[in-house]
Amino acid sequence: MLFESLVAGFQLFLTPMAIGLTFVGILIGLLVGAMPGLGPLMGIILLLPVAIGLPPLAAMGFLIAIFVGGSCGGSISAILLRIPGTPLAAATLFDGYPMAQKGRAADAIGIAISASAIGGLIGGVVLIVASPLLAKFASGFAPPEYAMLAITGLFAIAIISGGSLVKGLISGCFGLLLATIGTDEFSTGYRFTFDSHHMLNGFHIVAVVVGLFAISEMVHQIAGNGLLKKPDINVERPGFGSLFKTLRHWVNLLRSSGIGVFFGALPGAGGVISSFTSYAIAKAAAKPEERYGEGAEGGIVATESANNATVGGTLVPSLALGIPGDASSAMLLGALLILGFVPGPILFEQQPEFVGGIFLVYMASNIFLLIAGILATPFFVYVLRIPKFYLIPVILILCSIGTFALQASVFDLMVMFGFGLVGILFRAANFPLAPIVIGIILGPILESNLRRALLISREGYWIFVDRPVSATLVAVNVLLVIGALVYAYRKRHKLFSRAEEA
Amino acid sequence: MTLKKLVKSIAATAAIVAATTSTSLAEFPERTIELIHPWGPGNAMSVSQLIAKAMGEELGVDMPVISTPGAAGTKGQKTAMSRPADGYTVFDGYVAPLVLQPILGNADWTYSDYKPLHAAVSNAFAIGGRVDETRWSNFEEMMEYGREHPGELRYSSGSRNNLPHMVIAKVLQSYGVVAQNVPYTQDGNAVKDLKSGVLDFSFINVGNYIQDKSAFNIMLVLSELPGAKASYDGAPSIADLDIDLGLSGLAPMGWTWWIIHKDTPDEVTDKLRTAMAAAMKREDVRAAIEKVGFVPLDWDHTEYDAVVGPVLDQLSAMGNALKWEEEELKKLN
Amino acid sequence: MTSKTLTLLVAAFFAIIVVIVFQQIHTSMHEQGIASGGPYDNAAAYPRAIAIIISGLVLLQVLMELVSGSRERIPLSPASLKRAVGLLVVFAIYLGCLGWLGYHLTTSPMVFAVMYICGARQIGKMLVAALAMSFGFAFVFERFLNVVLPGGVFNLNIPW
Repeated sequence: MLFESLVAGFQLFLTPMAIGLTFVGILIGLLVGAMPGLGPLMGIILLLPVAIGLPPLAAMGFLIAIFVGGSCGGSISAILLRIPGTPLAAATLFDGYPMAQKGRAADAIGIAISASAIGGLIGGVVLIVASPLLAKFASGFAPPEYAMLAITGLFAIAIISGGSLVKGLISGCFGLLLATIGTDEFSTGYRFTFDSHHMLNGFHIVAVVVGLFAISEMVHQIAGNGLLKKPDINVERPGFGSLFKTLRHWVNLLRSSGIGVFFGALPGAGGVISSFTSYAIAKAAAKPEERYGEGAEGGIVATESANNATVGGTLVPSLALGIPGDASSAMLLGALLILGFVPGPILFEQQPEFVGGIFLVYMASNIFLLIAGILATPFFVYVLRIPKFYLIPVILILCSIGTFALQASVFDLMVMFGFGLVGILFRAANFPLAPIVIGIILGPILESNLRRALLISREGYWIFVDRPVSATLVAVNVLLVIGALVYAYRKRHKLFSRAEEA
Repeated sequence: MTLKKLVKSIAATAAIVAATTSTSLAEFPERTIELIHPWGPGNAMSVSQLIAKAMGEELGVDMPVISTPGAAGTKGQKTAMSRPADGYTVFDGYVAPLVLQPILGNADWTYSDYKPLHAAVSNAFAIGGRVDETRWSNFEEMMEYGREHPGELRYSSGSRNNLPHMVIAKVLQSYGVVAQNVPYTQDGNAVKDLKSGVLDFSFINVGNYIQDKSAFNIMLVLSELPGAKASYDGAPSIADLDIDLGLSGLAPMGWTWWIIHKDTPDEVTDKLRTAMAAAMKREDVRAAIEKVGFVPLDWDHTEYDAVVGPVLDQLSAMGNALKWEEEELKKLN
Repeated sequence: MTSKTLTLLVAAFFAIIVVIVFQQIHTSMHEQGIASGGPYDNAAAYPRAIAIIISGLVLLQVLMELVSGSRERIPLSPASLKRAVGLLVVFAIYLGCLGWLGYHLTTSPMVFAVMYICGARQIGKMLVAALAMSFGFAFVFERFLNVVLPGGVFNLNIPW
């Protein structure tokens, strides 16, 4: 069954458009990853309007490649500029920048890219093996299970993702509330539409996230300094030899990729946690003469293989259950829904060829990452030299046309702007934005399955504990709440502080 | 650069732009025509894309399909009709927004407020159950079970108050059976929950059936047309029932008729009509539509009133079936 | 501005949201008959529950910050603030005019203005960049992605 879906997926994948766009996606991903302040989530958000006009697999290849490339691109700026392009690459800084100072910048980038690609491929093997199994197990899930699963996903994200638990929960609930705007499919009544036909289906998720993330980021950037400055960096040309240098650290590679996949599959955890964890473990396991923190190759191998393996891990619950692991995969799920594919066991049953195609574009994007990353690094270095005052208007045009293109609606542009203001407020007050996206994606799953379960039930809320899987999930949710309370009690001084990331 | 130079270069650019752009006076169509589709992506949208592609080829421009779901299709219709009446926006006039929602009081238009282009496609629904069901083996037995256990049966018509819901409610009302409809956003999930035993029966479209024929016991095809019966491999249809539901022709089925704003200029309307008629006659288009389980329709704009009128009458006559179901359910709770 | 002021601003934002939720439940949803009954008909129960949870959490956050008494000052230079507000104003004007004047007449001036706010003063270079960005994006989106950009009252659309 797995083999067949991969073979069938090949036919979908082997089109010039799908292959070409996967490759372009990698280039864009590396670009947004390398540019400080953007990152894979922003790349997916900005290019989503483009993607949803394309054939489905080409579109997913494009977006997944941006995710993969973006998870690696941050290392380029971390190594060359000492600014991690994304938080994912923050741990890469520890050894990447010292290596560059010692004149080994090209090696450092080459190792970062090779480790990312190999980590991503290992994550892909897990994805290909584990997600069909999880989907098969979940094929008996009915509304009560999905309702409980959505709650688990939300709790996990608010609890594990770091930062303030209360703020994370508030953001998540805000997302849930946004998801209720529009026509209620059960009563067929209108909620919060203010008699406007624009609101009958709620706000378009892309307009909301473009505003929340991209517009607020541009305002944040323009408030910063050095808008006209051209960063002074040398062009570096890594070679394919770095692949062998990376493979010499195979134990580290396997271990760190494993950590990455694990944290990826866990809703809420993600690339940042996994790269820091695997760095810490690699450092502890290393011999003193490797000198971690002073330019050790192993440090880069650990962080970069972990954060790219996370991508494969995140896609497991996203595809098999329709429950996203982080904000980027939530946007991928949003794209899948817009393209007409419902992630979950049904997708595996009814469109195995499409699932196979997704596996293939994921694997291909990691291979392309290796090739494009090594060959095109001089180009990214050139792009990093472009001053910000060019970048900001480019992104503003992209936001505007992209949002307008969704449904040729000026109203969507107003929505985008409004959420831009909300994003600025949340950022300033240090409320996390990612849980809002998760809330928007999980909201309809939670509400409709909750109500559906109650309609199906002939004995009210007992349906949630009558069914074994649902009862287990109820227990998990209760444990998560207790765990969070205990954690909150122990770390009460830290809980309400402004610190967001570990 | 001096200010004078700046003004000059802006003027020069403006001139170039003015020269390369053209106004609406030019020959129609000079740019992309959009088809507003009232549902999310799925079989119905793929079919509309097939026709739009062919029609675009006839017109020599691209014809993208814009999915604008919401409020049982009325959002799309409102969106399309709020655009300028210049022929660059066509609406995929499905029966739910075009005829049914006005009957239910959720929209303030009638089908005759628009200019029709051509009929597009229809598709028939059926009521299906599980193959391993032990409580009944056919529709009549299930109705008997339902009468003995009021409010016990759980079914899904996809979304609430859509066409299948109306027809199923009418059938249930005729048999005096009260059952609970469970709305689903994605047809696939309703079918999955039917298979896993959470639902007792469900509406099945031809697409679902073709995908996994052995999984369903098709108990009743909701159309008296022989073609519909044939697409479900000869399962019993409403024509075989002892009772008369008062539904014939397109009335119990899903169908779409592409329409445009009433104020669209006549020569533009004619061009669109000719192009769509030509597209609907193409063999490749018809074959592709039939492969999905939909039926291409041959009526042109002259037959719009004659075909849609009776549907409106029949659906109006059964308008109380949904109300009846709601009230009976409330009594039981 | 301090972190406490910002938290209070967020609290005010959510207060407005929660008020809107309850106001809508008691007016619009009540009139539609979807504010009561079982899960089939009651569309108000779920948003009401979420709104109550949000109120509780926001209250908790505000109380904790008041109790902890920490007042972190957030450094913000007047120049930065001016740039940020300038960008928002330009962008708001741009979006407001986009539907009316069309894409081609509004985009280059917006790009130009944003660069100016950033501090760029090389008029010629900026002009070329603004035109290149505006028409470059229009070309890609209209030619390859079938997007029809807003033509505005003058119906300016370039048939690439």
